[in-house]
Amino acid sequence: MHSMGEYLRLYFIIEAQYIKARMQYRADFIISSIGMFFSSLATLAIFWVLFDSIPDLAGWTLMEMVFIYAFYMIAISPMQILFDHFWQLRFHVAEGTFLKYYFRPLNMMFYYMSEMFDLKGLTQFFVGIILLIYASVQLNLDWSLLRLGLLLITLFSAALVQISIIVAATCAAFWVINAWPVLGLAWKLREFSPYPMSIFDGAFRFVFTFVIPIGFVAFYPSQLFLRPEEISPLIYFSPIIGIGMFAVTYWIWTKGVNSYTGTGS
Amino acid sequence: MKRYLALTRGNFQVWLAYRFGFFFTIIGNVIYLGVAYYLWSSIYQHANVIHGMTFNETFIYIALGSAIFILLKTYADWIIGNEIREGIIAVYLTKPLDFQLYALFSSLGGILMNLAAISIPTILILTLVFKIQVTMGLGLILFPFSLMLAFLISFCFDYFVGLSAFYTESIWGISITKEIIITVFSGALLPLQFFPDAVQKILLALPFQAIYHTPLMMVTRPNQGWETFGPMLAVQAFWVLALFILTRLFYNQAIKILRISGG
Repeated sequence: MHSMGEYLRLYFIIEAQYIKARMQYRADFIISSIGMFFSSLATLAIFWVLFDSIPDLAGWTLMEMVFIYAFYMIAISPMQILFDHFWQLRFHVAEGTFLKYYFRPLNMMFYYMSEMFDLKGLTQFFVGIILLIYASVQLNLDWSLLRLGLLLITLFSAALVQISIIVAATCAAFWVINAWPVLGLAWKLREFSPYPMSIFDGAFRFVFTFVIPIGFVAFYPSQLFLRPEEISPLIYFSPIIGIGMFAVTYWIWTKGVNSYTGTGS
Repeated sequence: MKRYLALTRGNFQVWLAYRFGFFFTIIGNVIYLGVAYYLWSSIYQHANVIHGMTFNETFIYIALGSAIFILLKTYADWIIGNEIREGIIAVYLTKPLDFQLYALFSSLGGILMNLAAISIPTILILTLVFKIQVTMGLGLILFPFSLMLAFLISFCFDYFVGLSAFYTESIWGISITKEIIITVFSGALLPLQFFPDAVQKILLALPFQAIYHTPLMMVTRPNQGWETFGPMLAVQAFWVLALFILTRLFYNQAIKILRISGG
């Protein structure tokens, strides 16, 4: 096995080559980045129009919603940028090209995901950071060193939750032909994570908190910074939830990889 | 006409092969409807009527909007884009088919499948689980026609995006931009009544509202006469005609740069 440092070095080499290759299609990169930019701002535009008609959403103001949404954008960026190859898994599996990933002395998930680095996702990441700063200033949040540390930890956990949900859904491709709808469902659920979980009750809140915990992608961790006096103690478990979910997802991935038999050609 | 209908049937059968997926798509849509229900309930906490729309009307608008969204999702832009990039288009060019009509009738196959497998179950759930009351009226009778025109407009946008593959390596950026412009400007996410007056005027003058807002208003406010619905249908018909001609002109331009290496 290779050490962490070696993997990191390898990752940079692979991505540098990948980015060079992608830059042949510069126009495509620019158009995609613009598309990403608009898609990031669409939800904000909807918020802005909506809050013209209502004073708050379940007690949350427009600026607080902007903060939660910015947190969400940053938290889903690692999935978007580093794990973007998940979209192609079902094609590789169906066409048998997935076999090639067995023949390198590398961790297979690392090798597979390293084959793509989504440049346009950087747009989303930076728009998220700018919005987070903007909302913090507007809301007069004070950022001590401790709180910045908390922000990094909660963002890291949230990113792991998001990555786990998507990668686990992608793994359905190992067992089912046409697994797209499973992934499509997970992708759609992602859009609900910036909503205040307090608007839901009963089954919905339970599922979004404990079963498919999209609440931990943005809303619960954001509370820690917006209204520290109102947080539920659950939030302190977010690193455990993130790491635990990733462990389960990795186990599913390993199961899938071991059960894959190729296409026979 | 017969040969084009064969395309529709063929594509319907291709989609039928994916029926396992409809289950998940329906679940996804039911969850979406649940989320929308809670979201709009909390928005309507403050008032019974917002911008002249009651909760019931807004929820029908949003929920039916999501059913139409799935109905119109035929991935025609991706399919055409792929055919152009891979050079498969050459096969169609040698056949006595009009490419635009070929694309239209193929995508109609997807529509019929979506209608049977997703949109109708969604509407059933809407009426059974959420106990939505729809009033009868002329609007309901005109709704299918309006929806058909909406499909033709939506197809033109997909077709246009697909054709852009003549010029770029991947249509991802253009396709996502199209989708966002349509969902935001058409009322699919938020009824147009909620937009500020000035913005609303601009949006009503654009073709996007003819895809969602027009058919959705026919169902939310069906108790109106021809003097309201007549002009709405006329505007839709105008956009269908205009966009069909524009995309045809675009195709004639774009096809000139097509080079396919033999193979």
